[in-house]
Amino acid sequence: MVIIMKGIGAYRALLTAQPLQRKMSQLLRLIARSAVQRRGFCCSATLSRQVAIEEVGGKDVAVEGAGVYEHKIGKREIVGYGYNGLPNYMDRADFPFPAIRFREETQEIKKLREKEKGDWKKLTLEEKKALYRASFCQTFAEMHAPTGEWRTIVAGTLLGFSVAVWLVIYIKKFVYPPPPHTITREYQEKELKRMIAQGQGPVEGISSKYDYQKGDWK
Amino acid sequence: MFRAVVSRATSVLKPAALVHSKRVPAVVSSVRYSHGKKETDQEFDQRYEEYFNRRDIDGWEIRKALNDLQGHDLVPEPKIVIAILKACRRLNDYSLTTRYLEALKNKCGSHEKQIWPYIVQEIRPTLDELGISLPEELGYYKPELALKSVYDMHG
Repeated sequence: MVIIMKGIGAYRALLTAQPLQRKMSQLLRLIARSAVQRRGFCCSATLSRQVAIEEVGGKDVAVEGAGVYEHKIGKREIVGYGYNGLPNYMDRADFPFPAIRFREETQEIKKLREKEKGDWKKLTLEEKKALYRASFCQTFAEMHAPTGEWRTIVAGTLLGFSVAVWLVIYIKKFVYPPPPHTITREYQEKELKRMIAQGQGPVEGISSKYDYQKGDWK
Repeated sequence: MFRAVVSRATSVLKPAALVHSKRVPAVVSSVRYSHGKKETDQEFDQRYEEYFNRRDIDGWEIRKALNDLQGHDLVPEPKIVIAILKACRRLNDYSLTTRYLEALKNKCGSHEKQIWPYIVQEIRPTLDELGISLPEELGYYKPELALKSVYDMHG
């Protein structure tokens, strides 16, 4: 439930639009005013790009990205929209460019950024990699590297199978009563003889398959 | 209440959007207001190429456009890739080039063996001109660093 709007102009416009919803406008103004007082209207260029309406405690409240999310992202620079408009980082192949840089700016990175403004041919491979790692956590190769998790899955599945087998054995041994005497081979042979002697199923049943003249199956 | 706020906000923001559309005429107007009109492949290529060729493109816009482009079921033409690389150069952000080339290679999917060499061949002059290394040249064709599992981080 988030709308991101670009530009501090949009932020101002949003604030002036508030009296239309009386009930929440007071709350909203209160929060907006405190945000304005805290940060001043002239925010730095990078941070002013993020203005969000976020659901806070069931109410829609206008918040400014950087001030509110500082406890989550620290001083990491907000650089884009990301995949859902919130300042968060995730390595995703379908959204390769997250909303924030992965690392906070250190002195070394600051120096590199200055050098980055010049000719890129002068950057060494190490510097290029350092710049990459300052903005991103994992490369695509690392994102898609096999995790070995399949082993756990196979092991878990086999474990499930063996538990089931042992359960069947246990139930057969200790839960079910012994099988009835009618299930033995001798009893069933006697039963067959009796059925033939009685002539059961003379049309299509068992006796129709028996030749009483020969005394054997047809 | 949320819907009400959104509708109010959009009505108020309309003038702002109009002002903004002057800056990005190609992308915004043709996409948002073209219900029913089907964009040809040439128009698509041209739209993105022009967007990335804008002189005043900023980091927010290029990231959004790259994410959008990545969401399409296609591998962009080399001329778009060249425009992207040049835009990264104007923005002085080297990491974007490596990240995008990786994403592009990933986008080739099962046809990587046919598509990727072709793209590299086409963008090679630009790479040399700007001093951009391919992800392979940085050693990113195979995993370099391992991440600690989140379950092992504390304790």
